[in-house]
Amino acid sequence: MLNEKKIRIMSRLASYEKKENQENFKRFGYYKSDYIRYNLLKTIVSVTIGYILILGLLVFYNAEFLITNAATLNYKAVIGKALAVYLILLIIYIIGTIVMYSLKYDKAHKFVKKYFRMLGVLRKFYKDEAEQK
Amino acid sequence: MMNLLVIKEQLRKFYSKADSYLNPAIKFISTLFIFYMINTHLGFNPKLTQVNIMVIGSFVCAFLPVSFISLVTGIVAVLQIFFVSKILAIVAAVILIIMYCMFLRFTPKYSFAVLAIPILFLLKIPYCIPILLGMIGTPIAVLPVSCGVVVFYLFSAIKESVLATNGNSVEDIFNVYRIVIDSLVNNKEMLSAILIFSVVMLVTYIVRKQSFDHAFEAGIVVGTCVSIIGFLIGGLGFDIYKNIGSIVIGNAVSGVLVYIIWFFRLSLDYTTVEKLQFEDDDYYYYVKAVPKMAITAPEKNIKRINPQKTNENTMNLQDVIQKGYSQDEIYQNRELEDDFDENNLGERK
Repeated sequence: MLNEKKIRIMSRLASYEKKENQENFKRFGYYKSDYIRYNLLKTIVSVTIGYILILGLLVFYNAEFLITNAATLNYKAVIGKALAVYLILLIIYIIGTIVMYSLKYDKAHKFVKKYFRMLGVLRKFYKDEAEQK
Repeated sequence: MMNLLVIKEQLRKFYSKADSYLNPAIKFISTLFIFYMINTHLGFNPKLTQVNIMVIGSFVCAFLPVSFISLVTGIVAVLQIFFVSKILAIVAAVILIIMYCMFLRFTPKYSFAVLAIPILFLLKIPYCIPILLGMIGTPIAVLPVSCGVVVFYLFSAIKESVLATNGNSVEDIFNVYRIVIDSLVNNKEMLSAILIFSVVMLVTYIVRKQSFDHAFEAGIVVGTCVSIIGFLIGGLGFDIYKNIGSIVIGNAVSGVLVYIIWFFRLSLDYTTVEKLQFEDDDYYYYVKAVPKMAITAPEKNIKRINPQKTNENTMNLQDVIQKGYSQDEIYQNRELEDDFDENNLGERK
């Protein structure tokens, strides 16, 4: 026999498990510190790639100047400047990433907590059903 | 207003019933339109401008997520440029990758703005995106809005430089590249548009977050006004924009459009039908969860200026039900009523 109450609980659970909510379960699979570290790593890699590409565009833009002054150029100063900008950029991104992903994790934590509460209701339902039998 | 509310409810009802067909159809039409716009403005490659390729591409995109459509559109635009200038295509691709690495990967939800702003710039109504994102988004949506503005000016600069130069020597390539970068970095129009859009988005967001009545409508109005004032300052004060008239009209149209979208908010509202699938030990369940929706039937308030005298012979329907009159009694009463009317008419004659 179909049980309406059970279907209602299971439907609610299924809507929690939907594709667009899977990210929350994935996030909750990590410890908070691990989740933030993992995303920090991804951010550092993507910012580094982006910065290298920006440097590439700049070098290409100033190619003529660089070729004509290749012998007299103060490479140490140029590289130092580029590294300083990179480090400043990285610090900004690291702070932003920590704030953003800790907020995302907290949100996922709340969501999964609700899901587990609902699972508890289903477990209780099964227990009651077994007792009745 | 009541009629609009009824239409809204009917549309929501229709949308909740047919969303599984409507969403791909909307995506197909919008992608086809985007491809058409790209081909009209950057149609350098005759193979990509063919109608059947456009239709097939749009059909595939209809079943893909919005962020993927943005990617496909970016690739199509780069391929169009590749046909006339390889170096500029590489530059465009590199700038798009930089944007993704530095900004867009943090806001995949609002990636449609990167695509929508250039297209709406061509239609002269890009102002609706910052207002719309101020209404539905968070302040981080400033990033895709700014990227969208850069994308529009980048492709405009590339188009201009491709049309202006023909040479293929190394020097020509360097020159074209420099022209594009210069026209992007020193573009006051682009920088001020980014600034104004960011301010508009933030102001709209702040106003709609307030707790007073009609905060959403106020958000749209304030956003539109800030946008108009911003572009007027840019145009009249700093002489950056020339077509002030079209900017003001575009802003007004954008404000109205955002209001219409906000009013109907079909895709933005998540109260659509949910199709769920699960199983237990005995059954497989395929559940279709339909949200309860309040259907606003038009309420008609009849205000009587002259109080109507009730006729002793007329019967109230509620009385009939409550007192349980028989059919004969009702007919008897009706006959009396008819006689009374005929007498009255006779007197009038």
